[in-house]
Amino acid sequence: MTIDLTQFHDAFFEESFEALDSMEAALLKLDIGAPEPELINTIFRVAHSIKGGSATFGFSDIASFTHSCETLLDELRSGGMQVSLEISDLLLKTVDVMRAMLRSTQSKQPINMQKVSDVQFDVEMMIAQKNNAPAKPAAAPVKAAPAAVPAPAAPAPAAAASPATATSASTAPPRWEISFRPYRELFARGNDPLRMMRELAELGELTVNVDLGALPGFAQLDAQSCYLAWKLELAGDVSEDAIKQVFEWAEGDCDLELRRVGVETAPAVAAEPVVVETEPAPSQAALADAILSGTAPAIEEPKSEPAAPVATAPTLTAVKDTKPDASIGAVGDSGSIRVSVEKIDELMNTVGELVITQAMLSQLGAALEGGNAEKLRAGLAQLERNTRELQESVMRVRMLPISFVFSRFPRMVRDIAQRLGKQIDLKLTGEQTELDKTVLEKIGDPLVHLVRNSIDHGIEMPDVRVAAGKDAVGTVHLDACHRGGNIAVEVSDDGGGLDKDRILAKARQRGLVGPNDILTDDQIHDLIFLPGFSTAEKTTDLSGRGVGMDVVRRNVKELGGKIELRSEQGKGSRFIITLPLTLAIVDGQSVAVGTETYIIPLISIVESMRLKETSISRLSGHNEVFSFRGDYLPIIRLHELFGVEPRARALHEGLVVIAEGDGRRVGLFVDDLLGQQQVVIKSLEVNYGHVEGVSGATILGDGSVALILDVTGIIHAASMRAAA
Amino acid sequence: MNKRKQGAATRTTRRGRDAKTPGADTEHKTGSGAFAIAAECTVADAGSLKAGLAKLLDDSGVVTLDVSAVQRIDTAGLQVITTFVRERESHGRQVEWRGTAPALAAAAKLLGLSAFLKLPTPPGQAVETAS
Repeated sequence: MTIDLTQFHDAFFEESFEALDSMEAALLKLDIGAPEPELINTIFRVAHSIKGGSATFGFSDIASFTHSCETLLDELRSGGMQVSLEISDLLLKTVDVMRAMLRSTQSKQPINMQKVSDVQFDVEMMIAQKNNAPAKPAAAPVKAAPAAVPAPAAPAPAAAASPATATSASTAPPRWEISFRPYRELFARGNDPLRMMRELAELGELTVNVDLGALPGFAQLDAQSCYLAWKLELAGDVSEDAIKQVFEWAEGDCDLELRRVGVETAPAVAAEPVVVETEPAPSQAALADAILSGTAPAIEEPKSEPAAPVATAPTLTAVKDTKPDASIGAVGDSGSIRVSVEKIDELMNTVGELVITQAMLSQLGAALEGGNAEKLRAGLAQLERNTRELQESVMRVRMLPISFVFSRFPRMVRDIAQRLGKQIDLKLTGEQTELDKTVLEKIGDPLVHLVRNSIDHGIEMPDVRVAAGKDAVGTVHLDACHRGGNIAVEVSDDGGGLDKDRILAKARQRGLVGPNDILTDDQIHDLIFLPGFSTAEKTTDLSGRGVGMDVVRRNVKELGGKIELRSEQGKGSRFIITLPLTLAIVDGQSVAVGTETYIIPLISIVESMRLKETSISRLSGHNEVFSFRGDYLPIIRLHELFGVEPRARALHEGLVVIAEGDGRRVGLFVDDLLGQQQVVIKSLEVNYGHVEGVSGATILGDGSVALILDVTGIIHAASMRAAA
Repeated sequence: MNKRKQGAATRTTRRGRDAKTPGADTEHKTGSGAFAIAAECTVADAGSLKAGLAKLLDDSGVVTLDVSAVQRIDTAGLQVITTFVRERESHGRQVEWRGTAPALAAAAKLLGLSAFLKLPTPPGQAVETAS
């Protein structure tokens, strides 16, 4: 009888990816010269178990490659070789190669063997060098693998120019055909194809063919729209992920098609087109993999493992609790199970319904009179407690420590710092802070951007730092902590800080700020979040094109969070992102307008007040403003916006909720404040459709539906009305 | 590094330019049928670049574009210049280049526009094979 091994493939891949992550982390922690034996053991075990697994499943290429790594690691383990910077760099490359091989095998794509044999060659050279003679270490050539670690930075134009030159390939190496057709609004979204070409040219030899077909006549040309399209050819061993990463920020703003041609190892699959879907960004996909597999950190806190909900959901794979040497399951050391996200979402939804039903019952019970009413109320109170506990437990199942996102930074910072010739110490704190998986996935890319910015713009070159009396090694600090019902993630650096004068000068020059306007520090800092705003003297391949900060802010806002910036010239900058713990529940203030109830998210509320008639001014047309701490804020009458009959029309008879959105403050005029409560968010988009100014709905205790307001949308809708 | 030095050298040869900040990018007409492209040619400046070039679109003589001041250019900026050149050429009117700009040459090459624009090669850079 034969067993169909393919059923175990998924588990093998998942475990291997996880194991590679821990191998990478261990490699980064490895002290040159005096490595901890336990770390080397961990690294060795990963290679060993991947080799074993891939041999079992007949992935002979992977088995052969990992065998070489294992041999090298064995030398390190036994003390036959010392850990050098060279070796740890090489081992990091092997992690990349193993990951790429596994990914290709998983997606049934051909493995890029050239890359594999290059690195394998280096590994074997390293071993041979030790065996031959310790006397001539200089003889070991360690070739750089260009795709894995980006090439050292050279002046942009010169570096970019040579690979972009069209040259005929000698022995038909694998290459990618890329069709890149941006949508008109690509520029407006802060993307520049030039940057993408530059990044592609760094990955391999790039041939560019531009399509001018859509270019209109000069008079019809809208200078801010993109009409150009490109057919590109990228030669060299470049992973699909690397290419997708280049186009990551343009997702949804272009049509992108990748096609791999001329791979000698698997001609059958050679010309299969790969159409890139716009939803999952590659890095997010990778992250999702890691998250789905819910590993070590979640396990370290046994109390956060609610037994009941997990037990009800069927398991996908049991992570074995094994002895260190036996399996890569050694990553985690207490029991855990894998559960698909849909099942948890389903559970979450059901619990949400239960909360609503319970609230309805409580309200009914409160009005009851008679013999058993008291008993009923006691029972209902108990039900309420249990429901709340259940809800919190389920919510915790979805929570993952932010270390899932943080873990990608050590490698990234190391690579970028090396490339820029800067010395950077990355400090991570609060990695165990937990937040909702959905939030976690979406915060990754903005954080990457902020960290890159900090390294590229914030931290100065070592000589500049020393001249300024600072330590030559710059510090980038990532911190996460809970603050009230929110989570605050902070990216700070001790670099040069923002140059306010330059930002202001640039804004004046671009006409964003009037020549005589005086701006507060906050207002000046706010300017960097405008699309396309950059003061960089020269653009680098990392940042400086003014692309990104607006995207970062948009991403954070989409999560219902906000981003603040504090900066002191010469001392450094701090970006503080405040996010809700979960997207399923929001802390809200319920307000009454006529007979309707609306929920305003607490995070957007500054304060609430009753207006005096004297503080209200009417402007031309229908616009009303009121003075608030020396500022004049516009009043938005919710009853007008939503077409509801209010109890009071005179402004001093109702209340004004001062809310903040998109960096602007407004006064929302309501009849009354009802109370603060946590509400379960029901998506309007899914159940009905998008409504401007409304981010979702919830069901209240009495069974009625209340809309959850989106302050940014309201400000937008109101200004449209005012303009009309 | 190299790039910045070159830019500075170019600027000092232009009247009054050296006194300005690197970001100063008002456009100057250098004479009839000639146009100096500003230092900044990014998406934010593309509108004014287009407006500046529009005046020369129907110029019956040879139009000379002076690119020596160009410091920063992106796809949007190059798109405006490309459209201008194409429109003029479609009416049999010539465009000539004056000066070189490494940033412009590199950007044009990466975007596959060098052959179309027939830009002069900045010193020290390899000639592109036509694609």
